[in-house]
Amino acid sequence: MSQTINTGRRHFTLAGAAAGAASVLPFWARAQGAAPKGEPIRIGALTSMTGTGGVYGPGMLQAMRLAVDEVNAAGGAGGRPLQLFNEDDQTRPDAAVLAARKLVDISKVDLIAGVWSSSVALAILPITNGAGIMMLNTCGSPDLKTEDKQDLVWQYQAANDVFGKAFAQIARQRGFKNPAVMAFNNSTFVGQANYFRKSWEEGGGKVSAYVIYEPNQTTYRTELARVLATKPDVIALSSYTPDATIILKEWYQNGQPCKFIMPGWSANENLIKALGADATEGIIAVSNVAATNHPTFKHFDAAFRKLTGRESDVFAAECYDMIISYALAVESAGPNADLKSINTRMRSVTNTPGTKVTSFAQGRDLLRKSEKIDYDGASSTLEFGPAGDAVPDFGVFEIQGGKLVAKEVIPGTI
Amino acid sequence: MDWLSIVNAGINGTVLGLLLALPALAVTLVFGIARFPNVATGDYMTLGAYAAVAAQTFGGLSLVASGVFASLTVGVVSLFFYFWVFRALAQRPLVSRLIASIGVAFAVRSTITFFAGHYQYNIEAPLVRAWNFNGVRILPTDVYIAVTAIVALVLVFMLMRFTPMGRRMRAVADNPELASASGINARRVMVLLWSIVGIFCGLGGFLLGVKAVVIPELGFELLLTIFAAVILGGIGTPIGAVVGILVFGISQEIGSLYVGPAYKIVMAFLVLLCVLLLRPQGIFGRIQAAR
Amino acid sequence: MEGYIVTISITILIYMLLAGGLSLQYGFTGLINFGHVGFFAIGSYTSALLAMQGVPILICMMAATALAALFAFPLGMIALRLRGDYLAIVTLGFSESVRMVLQKEEWLTRGVHGIPGIPRLFGNGPAADLWILATLVIVNIIVFAGIKGMIKSPFGRVIGAIRDNEVAVRALGKDPARFKTRSLAIGAALAGLAGAFQSHYLTFISPEQFVPLITFYVWMAIIMGGVSRLSGVVVGTVMLVGFLEGSRFLREIFPGVSEVQLSSVRFWIIGMALICTMLYRPDGLFGERKTVKK
Repeated sequence: MSQTINTGRRHFTLAGAAAGAASVLPFWARAQGAAPKGEPIRIGALTSMTGTGGVYGPGMLQAMRLAVDEVNAAGGAGGRPLQLFNEDDQTRPDAAVLAARKLVDISKVDLIAGVWSSSVALAILPITNGAGIMMLNTCGSPDLKTEDKQDLVWQYQAANDVFGKAFAQIARQRGFKNPAVMAFNNSTFVGQANYFRKSWEEGGGKVSAYVIYEPNQTTYRTELARVLATKPDVIALSSYTPDATIILKEWYQNGQPCKFIMPGWSANENLIKALGADATEGIIAVSNVAATNHPTFKHFDAAFRKLTGRESDVFAAECYDMIISYALAVESAGPNADLKSINTRMRSVTNTPGTKVTSFAQGRDLLRKSEKIDYDGASSTLEFGPAGDAVPDFGVFEIQGGKLVAKEVIPGTI
Repeated sequence: MDWLSIVNAGINGTVLGLLLALPALAVTLVFGIARFPNVATGDYMTLGAYAAVAAQTFGGLSLVASGVFASLTVGVVSLFFYFWVFRALAQRPLVSRLIASIGVAFAVRSTITFFAGHYQYNIEAPLVRAWNFNGVRILPTDVYIAVTAIVALVLVFMLMRFTPMGRRMRAVADNPELASASGINARRVMVLLWSIVGIFCGLGGFLLGVKAVVIPELGFELLLTIFAAVILGGIGTPIGAVVGILVFGISQEIGSLYVGPAYKIVMAFLVLLCVLLLRPQGIFGRIQAAR
Repeated sequence: MEGYIVTISITILIYMLLAGGLSLQYGFTGLINFGHVGFFAIGSYTSALLAMQGVPILICMMAATALAALFAFPLGMIALRLRGDYLAIVTLGFSESVRMVLQKEEWLTRGVHGIPGIPRLFGNGPAADLWILATLVIVNIIVFAGIKGMIKSPFGRVIGAIRDNEVAVRALGKDPARFKTRSLAIGAALAGLAGAFQSHYLTFISPEQFVPLITFYVWMAIIMGGVSRLSGVVVGTVMLVGFLEGSRFLREIFPGVSEVQLSSVRFWIIGMALICTMLYRPDGLFGERKTVKK
């Protein structure tokens, strides 16, 4: 009996010691690029590799890697190399807190970027604020604007209120009279749906149906039937790709004519691949990506495809922009600047007025000549409002013949 | 709520119920014969769906062939875990097997995501418009799914009722000590049991993937409904499992017309609790001696 | 470094309260409760909602503990007449129903948006975390001493007997249901207390934090440590969190594997740990302690 206890205890102690030893291994193994010298900039990438966000997380990390490599190849930001440290938040706030703590206390990062879920962002906010570091995210929750008391939080994704309004404006501009709303039951989409309804009703008229559906269901026929029973001419569908696929499959097989307005991250090539050209014909996709022939986007998308073999999505584009814009802020503040002054430079390198730049190297060269720049990113023109939120213009696309065709651009409004 | 919506919701619930009857049967058989709730059922289904995707992508197999491949693959995996894990735990308390099945579920799902990632996949199946009978809509795909499920169920019922192997399974389910005393080879029964479990979960997962999308959480999310339905119908009774899941499927779909989709699972549980209070053995179950 | 260690320790101590409660319910009374996270949620939300109304934190936490225990009573009355495997599923349904209600009733809980800005225990200063840690240590010591005392008391002897042979207990004229319900309630109260700590530590809660996965983690902790030994509960919880966090550092050992794949590896190891523990070390990693003193 005592034999077994001792073996168990010994194994346990060994395992614990190994974990402890591994945790203090130096991180220089991650140094990127030989050219830049100087104190490395440590970037904490807190991405959702698993959970609901797991569909987008890996791409977001790859996009950040891409940007880091580009900046380092150009000599670093202010001569300092960028280093990326990654942790998975599992799209869960409680796991995120531990991950964020590890990044802040052990990896000693200068900022946390790539946060996808609003609950995660809200949960780690006390940690990042407490450490005085920036948090760059792709979240849509307006709560972040009010909770961001130190102006350290930068939202690269349009907040739900802006998105919802844009949906309503597009619907109105295209002459729809009887919209219905279907939304995935989480904070982002319920928010979007609410603002759509508010915005629509402010302009006169009512939405014919308003249905919030639960995640992870096999079928949404009943929910869809409820909506279709009110005979809408368009459905504003706030969704992710998996549930959108199911709903559209069932709508198409149902056969009732109706149009759809969807966010760009779910109405993309993956959706077309899943459903085919017939079922997706005429879907209106709304995205921060203002124009697919914008130089920054084209460059990023091509590089992303080369690296991953997959199509990029708007979240990945936003993550790319996070790194580039931060690098430009560092460049502007100088290599010895502290975190606070880098933070104050964020707007100056991304907002108008200024010479428009579309890459890090271009921006850096102009900054060295003390010119004011305005970085227009792959995800949007990155005009940050007073609460650190990007109010992008929206690109409106239609799926025609199995391809996304750019239509008009509408300005975002708060 | 007009009768048309109710009819359509009812049809949707029926198809869903028939599809889920396959894993429900797997659950109830394991409950009755191996005597524990098998949490790995959901992830066996997920494995079936992914196996079908792999068959189509890498093997270029047709839809039907991928379905067969999916069922067989999961059957093999199920047998593997029986031989390694569940056989050794047969004499232990129920919780051991329950916890081990949670471990199997995690192991299967993590293996899938290791190779396939968390993206969504699709089983290539033709998208066809529904037949419309004055507002009552029936999808051809649903009909194929329903027919496949019914055929599989009928086959298993015939197996259980009319073949010697089936009789032996029922004997072990009823009274394992008496069965082994009568000379029934428990090992053969178990191999048959776990093969059926694997095949049915794989087939169910395949059909689910055809109807919806293939994501890692596919099967796990359905576990609660399946377990509740099995208890409702009576643990260990195959006909109970099928009736239970149909009742659940239909009442959930129709009920959500009134209380909204969020409370579907809550309603299901209230129903379950009521039934258990009034008739603890479930609809078709027989009262078992106190353990 | 210290901040990270403090955070991990706080997480461990919160899980320890959960595990202590579950151990009382399953290890000592034999109740297969798979809805533990439901009581965690009730405690968490009660404390948060009261605190947002300005109620002093201490009162909120006491209310959270009490309310969680209260919910155990109707659940107990209904569920404890059922067999073990039924109980597992019904309790799972209970915790999922709690989560659905929290999600749906926006007027009360803000639904899916969650509750941000919950008042923090000991405020936001740099030393606050250490105070929270100290409080949790003291609370855990008190709780575990209490459980130990309960086990040795007449009440403890009855529930141990119920776990081993319920029919015999009934034959002796005692009503098992009352004892089982009390055990369920005490375990639930501990979960509620843990939930209150969670709220005032994280300062943000949302329904998606209270999923069955948490219940499974707690089960893992008590299984690995040995279900009916209190020292096992402590060890099991440390091992659980230690593993979940330590697997982060696996990346340094396997540089060739991508991050996504590493999370799969982590889950695979959890699955294997559960299977192997059940197969080879069913009484916990340290073996069964000698049976309760006669």
